[in-house]
Amino acid sequence: MSVKAFELVPAVERDLLMGDKARINIECIECCGKHLYVGTNDCFIHHFLLDEVTSSKGKLTYLAQKLLHKYLGLKKPVAELRAASALERLIVLCDGIVFLVDMVTLESVPSAAGGGVKIRGVTAFCINENPVNGDPFCVEMGVLSSRRRTVQVYMVYEDRVQLVKEVNTPEQPCAVSLDGYFLCLALTTQYMILNYNTGAAQDLFPYNSEERRPIVKRISREEFLLAAPGGLGMFANAEGVSQRAPVSWSESVIAAAVCFPYVVALDENFVTIHSMLDQQLKQTLSFRDGHVLQDFEGKVILASTKAVYVLVPLPLERQIQDLLAGHRVEEALILTEGAQRNIPKDKFQILHRRILQQAGFIQFGQLRFLEAKEHFRKGQLDVRELISLYPLLLPASSTFSRCHPPLHEFADLNHLAQGDQEKVLRCKKFLITYLGEVRSTEVVNGCREDVDTALLKLYAEQDHESLLDLLASDNSCVLADSIPWLEKYHKYFALGLLHHCNGQDSAALQLWIRVVDGELQDFTRSDLFEYIVDFLCSSNLDLVWKYADWALRKDPTMGVHIFTKRPVSEDRAELNPDDVIAYLGKHNQALLLYLEHLVLEKRIQKEKVHTHLAVLYLDRVLSLLSGTPAGEEQLTKAREKLQAFLRESSLYRVHFVLGKMENYEELLLERATLHGKLEEHDKALHILVHKLRDFRSAESFCMWASSCRDSAFQQRLFHLLLGVYLDRSENSPAAGGQAGGELEMAAVDLLNRHGEVFDAVRVLRMLPEDWSLQLLRPFLNRAVRASTHACRTSQIALGLARSENLQVLHDRLKEVKKPIFVSEKKGCHLCHNTFSEPDVVCLPGGVPVHAHCVAQRVRDSPTKRRLTNSSDQT
Amino acid sequence: MKKPDVKVVLLGDMNVGKTSLLHRYMERKFKDTVSTVGGAFYLKQWGPYNISIWDTAGREQFHGLGSMYCRGAAAIILTYDVTSWQSLGELEERFLSLTDTANHDCIYALVGNKVDLTDAKAQLSQDSDGLSEDRSTAAAGDEEERTELQAAPASPVSLSGSVLRKQVTLEDAVALYGRIMRYKGLDETSKLPADKMCFETSAKTGYNVDALFETLFDLVLPSILRKRNEDKESPTVDLEEVGNKRSRSSCC
Ligand SMILES: Nc1nc2c(ncn2[C@@H]2O[C@H](COP(=O)(O)OP(=O)(O)OP(=O)(O)O)[C@@H](O)[C@H]2O)c(=O)[nH]1
Ligand SMILES: [Mg+2]
Repeated sequence: MSVKAFELVPAVERDLLMGDKARINIECIECCGKHLYVGTNDCFIHHFLLDEVTSSKGKLTYLAQKLLHKYLGLKKPVAELRAASALERLIVLCDGIVFLVDMVTLESVPSAAGGGVKIRGVTAFCINENPVNGDPFCVEMGVLSSRRRTVQVYMVYEDRVQLVKEVNTPEQPCAVSLDGYFLCLALTTQYMILNYNTGAAQDLFPYNSEERRPIVKRISREEFLLAAPGGLGMFANAEGVSQRAPVSWSESVIAAAVCFPYVVALDENFVTIHSMLDQQLKQTLSFRDGHVLQDFEGKVILASTKAVYVLVPLPLERQIQDLLAGHRVEEALILTEGAQRNIPKDKFQILHRRILQQAGFIQFGQLRFLEAKEHFRKGQLDVRELISLYPLLLPASSTFSRCHPPLHEFADLNHLAQGDQEKVLRCKKFLITYLGEVRSTEVVNGCREDVDTALLKLYAEQDHESLLDLLASDNSCVLADSIPWLEKYHKYFALGLLHHCNGQDSAALQLWIRVVDGELQDFTRSDLFEYIVDFLCSSNLDLVWKYADWALRKDPTMGVHIFTKRPVSEDRAELNPDDVIAYLGKHNQALLLYLEHLVLEKRIQKEKVHTHLAVLYLDRVLSLLSGTPAGEEQLTKAREKLQAFLRESSLYRVHFVLGKMENYEELLLERATLHGKLEEHDKALHILVHKLRDFRSAESFCMWASSCRDSAFQQRLFHLLLGVYLDRSENSPAAGGQAGGELEMAAVDLLNRHGEVFDAVRVLRMLPEDWSLQLLRPFLNRAVRASTHACRTSQIALGLARSENLQVLHDRLKEVKKPIFVSEKKGCHLCHNTFSEPDVVCLPGGVPVHAHCVAQRVRDSPTKRRLTNSSDQT
Repeated sequence: MKKPDVKVVLLGDMNVGKTSLLHRYMERKFKDTVSTVGGAFYLKQWGPYNISIWDTAGREQFHGLGSMYCRGAAAIILTYDVTSWQSLGELEERFLSLTDTANHDCIYALVGNKVDLTDAKAQLSQDSDGLSEDRSTAAAGDEEERTELQAAPASPVSLSGSVLRKQVTLEDAVALYGRIMRYKGLDETSKLPADKMCFETSAKTGYNVDALFETLFDLVLPSILRKRNEDKESPTVDLEEVGNKRSRSSCC
């Protein structure tokens, strides 16, 4: 637990004081700035000038120059000396008398007229370092006298002392200290605090002052340090409360002082130094014949019986560094934080940060990552300090250089781990988490590139999944440094992303293409091809034209997505469909898909596109037809597609398509559809009925061809079909024989199935005489029922109309009886002007309007019906 | 240094285990102690408050300091050793009078420690939280702790082999608690019930240790609030402010 906190430096050597006179001893000392006064047992005061000299190596020494010595003439030891520098006086206690001497001449000060300068019968006195009285040219002094159980408070002026207060104590006091109004006293059997203003007393704790010398030492505002039983140094404040834990001295302690954060105590053989922060003994210095230990304005001075020394605190930073060198992190931090009050704020912050960082590195070296991280965080470590430990992680372009003096003792990670790969790995994992955490904070301001590049390298090396997240998000990875690293670990996909981040999409695509083509190996994405297609979907057109070809060759179905899945956006050049179609010229399948996309999804209404698509469908069918006995199924599918398109689209050039299939007898159905498109229904039906003998299709044709037309058209079409079925003319291919019977059956089926569209009377006239009723029963039934239904419906309608008429008549009669009010405030419903004369006309419902308005209306109405219910009223 | 809001003091004869109890509570472990010299204190963060806990020395030599430690205390833990009748007697004879300097509304707890030596139920740690804490520190790489931890709760057999006679029963403690309340002049209505304020603990296994401190901390909360209010009413003088005022008036 030891620290080297202080160094003992000789100040005044024996030679300078008493030479070889053996019986002369030092009794007391006082130091005031550079002035050192020493009182001896032969009643002398010696005055020295003490100069601090720092050697070139930084070693501190003291140079004492004797200015004067003076015999006080009392033949008794000089018991105590206190300087009152503002008064230029020394207050001296010798032979039980307190008196003043001049600080410079050491001459006794003669009594002034108004009062004495001497106090007699004094055993001890103390100066109030926290005086209540504000006069700077007056010193407050507490005095213990040998005969009375009292404490006296005096004011000391340049040339007189004045008693201002006297308080009684329960026992004989033997040591005193003063702060504000509070006297801290050692009595015969106990310590107590006495407020000399109010007289309030507070017992502290028992202490046998006859057995052991008491110590009463003011250490700060209203706080005292006291020698307690068992060799303890106890702290007590003016309220009689201990706010710090005691320190443990030896029983024979003579004097003590505080030099923050340490308590320094002197006993017969040693100077002991305890920390007030953790109460531990930090340093012991051997010191023979110790006699005096006192602090003067923060400087601790010690005297043996023969010589004077200064206890020089080592610079705090040095102490802290010593602790850190011993890896005593907690102690170093306690010491640093304890010093906060004694160091200017900005300086403290710098120191504190540095110590925290160093502490962090020590713990880092011990692989105590949690603690290390916390200290790095609190110490606002420049993360590059940490990164720089890992060889090659910082980009070559980084301007970083480690801080000096170094924060740690490690050359690099290998040095730290001593070849232990496990350790190296743990350190890397730690850096990954640490950088991941700080990357989005202000800690990395100004070194974002270094941090992101380091992180990228680590991710790549450790095969970490976050590599892609890093590259997919906003990042500052340095390209030049990252490329070789990613290549080394075969992270080509990631490298592509990095190129993309840097606006080099073409480079990214080339790389990915090489991966897909198997030239490079990177298994990051099994769906890299799809990824590329997606990527091209949102790329600029140059890239699309450049790389789509590759994608289409690789997989036309997927590849065409580049064009079909391209999101529409306003701020980007749109694809021109004509360009795409031209581009896709060599890629039949893709072209078909693209045209389908245009027609079916985009619903593009361009003749060219539609015709093109129809031709492509047709070409496909034709190629299947001409090919080797192609799969029946494929052909069926292809034809279905073609037929559907021919039916549904009405934009393609019908004649052109028709011309293309002129020579193909297999495509009669399609031709029928095209004839239908051309309104050549008879041709279409002829093909269907006579060439194909496909009556179902003929029926469907009628349904389809009339689907958007009125019922009369539909009726016409069905009659046309019926006519074709029943046509027995000479030139009809159906005349007579087997075929004719078939057609008749088709006619019967048609009538029975679609009876409702036919005009039954016309049908009956058309039918051959010899047909049996039974055959046509469903049709006839329906026809009769329909006509009966129509008849009855119209009768009902007639009845309803009549009753409505009656109702209206009734209403009118009612209205006629009611008065109709007309006033100048009411407006005419037709022209919205007010009425100015009583002549009005009433509309149905009793609404008055101007006569001329009605006249106007009647004139304008096409039927020119006359209003029958006009009447004149007031 | 953070300024404590309230003070809790442990009193009791030497060797009863005051220091061990504090170690167990603050550091979640049982470790070797030396007889305390003078006193020591810990700061415990309890919610938004800082509680200072004073460990005093039981040795006769330091007896005189007790009153000072107790001055202004909000709670005092009077500790005895269940295997020592004398340690209970000392509380009444020697330590009770030290508490005269405590706050008038000070809370008293009577704690019989080392109950692991006499009661099987205290031999296995209840203090699961403590265990897991220990484990995590052990995992952090401190070899010493790990072995010690394994020795403590994992060997109830060796412990039960040495069950000592219990010299102080809970009833004895409850009776003393009554006498303490009488000494303090507290009547039945204003005092806290004995069954709530008498504890049997084991610093060794952690038995009942958290319960002891947490009960006390909860009970001193009102005292903290009262103290904060008082501080608000009589705030400490801000020297800078006074200085400013003076300089302002002097320039007029
Ligand atoms: N078995 C057992 N031993 C304990 C327990 N608590 C403390 N001890 C032991 O009792 C002895 C004294 O413990 P301390 O905690 O030092 O006692 P203390 O009350 O602080 O003593 P002083 O500081 O002298 O007042 C030590 O050897 C501990 O190991 C406990 O709960 N069970
Ligand atoms: Mg102890």
